[in-house]
Amino acid sequence: MKGIILAIPSKGRLRKPVMEILERSNIKIIDDDSRVYLTNTTIKGLQILSVRTLDIPTYVYYGIADMGITGKDVIEECGLDVYEIADMKFGNCNLIVAVKEDSPYYDANQLPHGIRVATEFPNLTRRFFNNLGIHVEIITLRGAVEIAPILGLSDCIVDLSSTGETLRKNGLRAIATILRSSARLICNKVSYKTKYEDIKKIIDLLVKSCENINL
Amino acid sequence: MIALKLCNEKRLYYIENCIRYLPQKAISQREFWQAGAELIGEYGPEADAEVICLALESLDKIGLKANIDIGSISVFKKIANHFNVKDIDRLRIAISSKSISEVKEIINNEEALKIFSYVIENRGRIEILENIAKMNIHELYDDINYIEKLFDIIKDYGYYDRVVIDLSTLREMKYYNGIVFDIFIEGLGIPIGGGGRYDDMMKEFGLDLKATGFAINIDLIVKLIEKIPIKKERIINVYYKEGYLEKAIDIIKNMRNKGIKCSLSLYRGEKEGILISDNIIDLKTGEEINERNYISNSK
Repeated sequence: MKGIILAIPSKGRLRKPVMEILERSNIKIIDDDSRVYLTNTTIKGLQILSVRTLDIPTYVYYGIADMGITGKDVIEECGLDVYEIADMKFGNCNLIVAVKEDSPYYDANQLPHGIRVATEFPNLTRRFFNNLGIHVEIITLRGAVEIAPILGLSDCIVDLSSTGETLRKNGLRAIATILRSSARLICNKVSYKTKYEDIKKIIDLLVKSCENINL
Repeated sequence: MIALKLCNEKRLYYIENCIRYLPQKAISQREFWQAGAELIGEYGPEADAEVICLALESLDKIGLKANIDIGSISVFKKIANHFNVKDIDRLRIAISSKSISEVKEIINNEEALKIFSYVIENRGRIEILENIAKMNIHELYDDINYIEKLFDIIKDYGYYDRVVIDLSTLREMKYYNGIVFDIFIEGLGIPIGGGGRYDDMMKEFGLDLKATGFAINIDLIVKLIEKIPIKKERIINVYYKEGYLEKAIDIIKNMRNKGIKCSLSLYRGEKEGILISDNIIDLKTGEEINERNYISNSK
């Protein structure tokens, strides 16, 4: 093997299922230590890079990592040119627009100009509202976005939701879906061509491990 | 530049700073250096082959071994039109990111899906196109001939094993209309350049001229070249004893004419180089040397 680096989430909702997929693929991390970002595996030549989900497309785009597993939401938010090899079919969730339960709006089209939108996804949010022709003020947060409307920081939010549980608990109601997301296997455009054989082996291993499972 | 008398074919090149508006990818530079070459006023695989091989040869000259993947806007459009795909630009983006799941969201025709999956998953030579034609896409006859010829000429230039067909290689369709290509180098994650045929662009300037060309990102190349160790050229230190300057100048002039790099200074007891006095001495060995032999050996 030519030396391949696979980037995986170091934490977050995708970490657990990804570790499960690696185990099913018989890829074991040698000397697992959460403080070490780059580790060897039981497959000679294959290294695992553990970094934040949001940074994975960047590592893959620049070819630092040859492949990566991250969410479709993150790939679209970054907007970087990478190959999106496979839908791994786990980590399903939607990127939604949500308002307070007592809000008079039931569709994103009804939202008035100038409202404040809190989100961790400023690029996708801007694109969505630009397409609707609605001017919005985007407030970028790094987490706990659901709290923003209740505290009065924003009028609505754009955030990920899988079951809708967090929304309900925070008195919010979804009015539009921007994107359906799931975990994707991405690949650097040059690595795919120059290390094809080795990369194909890893792709086949991982994709096969994703079949018929519920994560 | 357009005002040039473009009645016949023209070959142009530039190395310039370019400025591009990048809406989302603020990660990239908006101003960058680019080198490009265009062959305007010629149609046919000969012109495309010339441009492709020129790109490879230019990179060879600076020590960078590049490879090229070829796609075709014409082939892509013909397949998409065969299946009456409506959102063709969205399909182009899905194909060029090799995303089968995205393609499935755009088309649901089984046959079309089979062909586009084949396009996404396979790299090769002319057989890629022949296999697609065999899946009942008969519109590709002209393209197969064109690309077959293209590869014949690339072979004549000696670059056959560096050029591969990957039909997921696609570019902006408003600009490009024929073959398109990406130039990449192993170990560098981002393609260093690309190009293709853009026969309709010159019409925007009132000229009906076919054209093909390529561009290479100079900033990326600079980064790559910096990593290549520079071979230090040997400089010979020539020393002269007091009173022998005139003779020494004669000798170094002769050496420099022959392309040997040398310095000249007064001898103060140095231990390396050559010393000019009545005779010529190699300071390292202390042996007398013959000027003529020395110059030819140094070369």
